[in-house]
Formats: sequence, structure tokens, C-alpha cells
Amino acid sequence: MENGKLKIGIYELTGCAGDALLILDCEKELIDIFKAVDIQSFLMAKSDNIDGELDVALVEGSVTTEREIEELKDIRERSKIVVALGLCATVGGIQARFTDPKEWEANLKKVYGDKKMTHTNPVPSKPIDAYIDVDYYLPGCPIGKDQFLNFFNRAVKGSLPEKSQNPVCVTCKYNENDCLLKRGQLCLGPVTMDGCGSVCINHNIPCFGCWGPLEVANRTSEFYLLQDMGYSVEEITKKMANYSGTKISEFMTKMRKEIK
Amino acid sequence: MSRKRISIDHLARVEGNGGISATIDGKMITDVKFTIYEGPRLIERLTVGRTPEEDVSMAPRICAICSISHKNAVIRAMENALSVKVPPKVWLARELMHMGEMIESHSLHCYYLALPDYVGFPNAIAMASKYDLEVKIALEMKEFANHIMKTLSGRFIHGENPVIGGFGKFPSQKELLFIKSRAIQFMPFVLKTVNLFCEIDYPDTPEEDTLYACCEPGNSAYGFWGDEICLSTGEKIARDDYPKLTNEFVVSHSYAKRSRYNGEPYSVGALARINNLGERLENEAGKMYRKYFNGRWKRNPLFHNAAQALEILYCFERIPLLVDSMLKIPEDPPIVEYTVKEGKGTGLVEAPRGLLIHHYQIDNGLVSNVDIITPTAQNAEDIERYCHIAAQKLLDEGQEDKIRDRMDLVVRAFDPCISCSAHMAEIKKAPADNWELKLSAIKRKGTPFYVGVGSSSQSDDAAGLELALRLRKSGQKNVALEGEFMEKWETSEMPDSHPLIFLDAVDFKAEPGKIILLPLQYVLNSTTLSHRFLPLTAMITNHSQMRRSYLLGVQPERITEGDDMSESVRSAIERIFEVITH
Repeated sequence: MENGKLKIGIYELTGCAGDALLILDCEKELIDIFKAVDIQSFLMAKSDNIDGELDVALVEGSVTTEREIEELKDIRERSKIVVALGLCATVGGIQARFTDPKEWEANLKKVYGDKKMTHTNPVPSKPIDAYIDVDYYLPGCPIGKDQFLNFFNRAVKGSLPEKSQNPVCVTCKYNENDCLLKRGQLCLGPVTMDGCGSVCINHNIPCFGCWGPLEVANRTSEFYLLQDMGYSVEEITKKMANYSGTKISEFMTKMRKEIK
Repeated sequence: MSRKRISIDHLARVEGNGGISATIDGKMITDVKFTIYEGPRLIERLTVGRTPEEDVSMAPRICAICSISHKNAVIRAMENALSVKVPPKVWLARELMHMGEMIESHSLHCYYLALPDYVGFPNAIAMASKYDLEVKIALEMKEFANHIMKTLSGRFIHGENPVIGGFGKFPSQKELLFIKSRAIQFMPFVLKTVNLFCEIDYPDTPEEDTLYACCEPGNSAYGFWGDEICLSTGEKIARDDYPKLTNEFVVSHSYAKRSRYNGEPYSVGALARINNLGERLENEAGKMYRKYFNGRWKRNPLFHNAAQALEILYCFERIPLLVDSMLKIPEDPPIVEYTVKEGKGTGLVEAPRGLLIHHYQIDNGLVSNVDIITPTAQNAEDIERYCHIAAQKLLDEGQEDKIRDRMDLVVRAFDPCISCSAHMAEIKKAPADNWELKLSAIKRKGTPFYVGVGSSSQSDDAAGLELALRLRKSGQKNVALEGEFMEKWETSEMPDSHPLIFLDAVDFKAEPGKIILLPLQYVLNSTTLSHRFLPLTAMITNHSQMRRSYLLGVQPERITEGDDMSESVRSAIERIFEVITH
């Protein structure tokens, strides 16, 4: 730390750049953010970037090429704290749908044919903790402004906020929404991490699960509940898998077996 | 001759992860590559097997900064596929939402990503020391644009409120009136923005004509979507015929696919829209267009920034009108239900950085085929071409030290969104190659000079030489063989204002006998094809001649010792002979 300022780097692997963009979307706070810390690298925002020692590295995106594995390991080596930023970094993103390597390869071939890539080789999409130790997770597709600023304020003071262990339903109740499950809609609120402010349900749209799976959720119970409501196993597993990346593949395999 | 490589590994201040490099070989720029390091996401595969609703949620995850455009495109496509007709209030709300994204993206690009280049700062925050007021108000403008998106779609990025058939919830009258009044408040600053970006002294390198493509909004109006594509040549392409424009293919240095129209690169984006539709702008935007638009806007990609500023003005003038129209319809229409389970549909939308195409096929209520073509994927070829032109011109002028920064500037002007360009489509069969069409276009530029290349003792490789000999026998004067090329070149027997066409058997992995016609500079980008041309093209040190040089190639069946040419290649050269001589 120099002049008492944290050295921060913001990096993008493969994804939609939405988390870095959300940081730029903190318009009111942006100038203060740039003043409060020493931003060493932020490709989307500045061109004088340095790759040196860091106090905090924020990494967005999932790992999908060999080049990214090397880049990620290098970031880990020179950073005291590494934070996974957003759904792609925390669970592998929607692009981690093909968890079976053979299925992934077949789909890759369908897209690119037999063309041999000269710049870097592809690998199946994985979250960053598949390759390095991660100190903190900021979930969301994209991350939420409040959770980011909360994290940022703590980090500047040398600590990290506690991990949220609530499902979307907690905020949804505060917002006094009608429960969409009770209306018979396939809502993933009970098994999804909180932090979005239950935005979809506020708009009468059921939760898709884009904040990623909540670790402590009773997924099995939600599964049977949805089945009782008349949804097919196929529908439920697809919906649950869409935004869960590689994180609940064991649960999925288990459920598919159990139900058969 | 020295060989040097200029490379910008990580392009700063563009959204996503990419680089550009140029190789200098003596006096020639031999290779320019716009590389996308963003890995493969296979979006078009992982959206297969999903319900239309799931894809409306997932497909926009391609790109954060254009998430509203993707949302509008996927919804348009799905509604076309499922024959869903929505009431006028839904269209108004969708357009208002789109305005938010257009302003957000353009102001971010103009003020944060591009302006620092022209006033000499590494980033917008550093620029704030000198342009304090501009940076602050631009931030407010961006915040307001985000507010519009949040109000209509649910959040800044990846909002889920817009769905097939309408909206989960419409904004209240109060929220709409707030948007209207804020839009009016911003007008003085918006007009200043147009002056600022239209009066920047944009460098005149690179300048060259290109083809512009954008949506045709219909009703002689300016706008950001339509059911047709219009080209700067005046041609129109119906929405479901979009592959005629895009002709996607894969290159080995990028996970983003590429597009060319009739074998030539084309540009999409704000500059394309202003070039094709600018005449239709009204009110203040119309006045500003007539004040600033000139011929250089047609040839110079750096004017993208000026075009974006004009569009910010168009949006700010449009917002109060949209709000007023929405307020005239007090009833919020419910989401339109549908029962259709099969269909095909295309949605055309203008994302901030250009034409965005979504196409879906639905069988048994599930998506069975997806094709998404993003603006940056379409611009990639022109980005490389303009960088090539700029680098070569600077090299010719002895300003080699400027090449790196200029390429950076050119790439950034296109406002590439690299995360979206790394989009994935099914491999398609190569489009029917219209080499005959291209040949007639080349002939219009001047009488071509043909050079036969190859080896007479190696079966199919003799094709180029044999064709040249037959042409000469038939009385064509402007023909040379590989061995005579140097002599003719040096004695200036070849007029250098005429097109130069190399005839050769080249392996481009197609079926034997297939014919292609490509600009030579692209051939030189390919490591497998370039080796045999390098000795010849070393003669062509003149850049304008290089740009008039082409390869007319035939796919060989076999290249072995001996003189027996395969039947497929023989009939291909017969065909070429007929076309050239008639």
C-alpha cells in the first residue's frame, strides 16, 4: 500500500463485460472510487495500465482459453486478495452449460468446424476457483451496485464484508411482492443468492436464478415442490442449470438419477 | 529488408478483450490482425433446446453494454417466429428503453473512451482536471440514460422486465414525466456535445470508401429497427435474407466470426446509419446534420464519434415525443399470450455499434436453431482493412512511430464490443462464391492484367500457367507467366493503374474445382497461401497497386509429380477462360 491507498486491478476474462461496466455505471461514486484507491489496471476505463503487485484483484469472466489460465495464475501470484466478480467468475457463467468434456467438444466443433486456432486453445468454461484460490465472491449477472460499493468500502478499510447467506425470497418479502410460486410460476427465488433486490419479481417476472445457486438452499425441496406443481423434470433441471454453471452439477446428476 | 511487428496486445478502453497487430516487412505492411482473446462461449449452442422465454433471458447475456439491443432483437425475432402481435404502447416502451441504451453507450464511448485520445489524456478521470464540467455532466447524462433503462427494463444491465408479448410491468405516469423533463433539461449540453465531437480535427488517415449497412426503419424516418437492411448502394435486403449480407466465416486468429458482402468488408454502426439515413433527421438533429455532414464522413471511420454525438441529439429529441405518446395510452396492456409452437423468425435491430441480427427456429415449443450476428463481428474485417490502410500510409510518409497509436485510434473509433463479437454460430457451408460478379466489378475499374502462377510439372498446380497460356493464345494481350512477371514489371509493361489478377491453384479447403476471387492482401494474411506469392508481391511496393491486386484461384484435387491435371480443375479453368474471354 502506497500513500495509504490500496492498489487495485480489474481484469476481464471471458464474459459480457457487464461487471466492469457496472463499476463504470457507479456514476456518482466513480470519481471518488478513482481517488480513494490506486487503480493500477482497468482495461475498459484507462490506457496506462501496469501489471504489478496488487492489494486487491477483481476478476470478471470465466476461464475458457489456455491463455486465460496463465493470466489468472499470474494475477493470483501478484495479488493479496482475489475477488471473483459476477456470475461467470463465480460459477462459470451460462457458457458453462456443457460440463461434460465430450459434449463441449462436439459443440465447439459445431461452431468452429475443424479450424485450428492459432492464437490460443479453448478449454471448457470454468469459474476462476477451478484454477486458483479465491478470497471473496461478488455474485450476480451482473453484480449489484450496492453489494459492490459495500465490498469496496470495506476493502478500502482493510476488511471484507460477510458472505450473504440469504435467498432472493428474503428481499422479496421486504418488497411485499406476491409469491409467484403460489401463483404457480416456476420461480427460483428460494434457491438463488440474494443481492438483486428481487428485481424480476418486483416486475411480475419469476426469478431465473442469475445470481447463482445459494449454497445452503434446500434445492431438493424446491425440486419436488415444482414437480408437484406440474413442471417436468426436464423443465426444472434446465431452469436450475441455466445460471448455475459448474456449481450444482453433482446435485443435478443426483436428482436425475433419483427421479428415474 | 527488416521485418518488424507492431502489436497492441491488450486494447485499452474498448469493452472486452482484444488486440491488434501489424507486420512491417520493409516498405510493406504485410499483415494486420485484429485478434480477439475473449474465449469461446458457444452462446448459439447453449441457447438450443431452451424455451423461447429462457432464450429471451439468456441470449442478451452475450453483451452487457448492448443488453437492451440484444433483448429487443431476440424479442423481435421470437415474436416474428411465433406470430405474436403487440399493441402500440409496447412498441413505444421498447423504443424508449432503446433510447436509454443508445445514449448510455454513445456517451460512455464519446466522453470516456474516445475523447481522452483527442485531448491527450490516458483516461476520462485524468481528463477531469482540464474538462471538469464536461466529464461531470457526461457522467450525469450517462446516469440518466441508465435510469431510463432501469425504469423500463428493471435494471441497468440484463433487466428481465421486457418479455415476449410485452412488459411485466409498465412505468408509472410519474416515472415517465420525470424522464421527459430530465431529457429536456439536458438539451443545452447535448447540443454542446454535438459541436464538440463534430468539430474535432479528425486525422485524414485512413480515408477510403466502404460499404455501409443498417436497418431500414421505414416511413422515411430515422430509427433503430426495421424489417429490411439497407445498404449505402441503395440495395435492400429483406430480414430473412440477412445471410446474403453477412456470409459468415471463421478465421484462425479469433473466436469471433467474420462477415463480408460480395467478398468485400463493410461497416455498421452510428456512422453507417448517419450515412444511409442522415437525410431523414429532423429538428435540431437535422440542422446539425446539414451543418456538419460532408464527404469525409463517407470515407473516414474516425467520424464514428461525430455520428454518435448526432445520434445522442436525435435520442434526446425523441424521448419527450415517446413519453407523450405513451401517456396518451393510460391502459397498460397485459402480456400477449401465444399458442404457436413452431416457426422461424429474424429480428433486426440497430445496437449502438451497429446492425444486430437474431434468428431463431422453434420446433415443439423449444428452440432448435439459433443464429446471432453482432455488429463487431461484421466490423472486424473493416477494422483490419482501415488499420492496414492507415499503417501503410503512415509508413509511406515515414511516420512509422505513429502507426501504433493510429491503429489504436481506428479500432476504438469502431467502438468494438469484443465480448459480443465472440459470438458463436453454426458452421455454415461457404456461401456460393460469386467470383464472376466480383470479376465484372474489377473489370469496371480497368482492364485486368493476368499473371499465371504455378508449376507445369505438378498436375493440378499447372492450372494457373495453363490458363494464362490459353488466354494468350486466344489473343489476350495483357497476360504474363510467373517467370515473365519481374521483367514486365520492371520495364513498366504493366500499367500500374490497372487491376492485377494472379491465376493459381490454391488449397483453400473447398471441394476440388471450386473457384475463388480474393483481394491479394487477404491472401497474404493467410500463412498457408502467402508463401508462394511473397516473392512475386515483393515487386509490388506500391500500396495502391497492392490494393488493385487479386487472386483468382482454383481448388486443386491433387498436387503430385506429373502432368495429368484432374478433371475438376480442368473444367474450372475452362469456365474461367470462358468468363474472361466473353
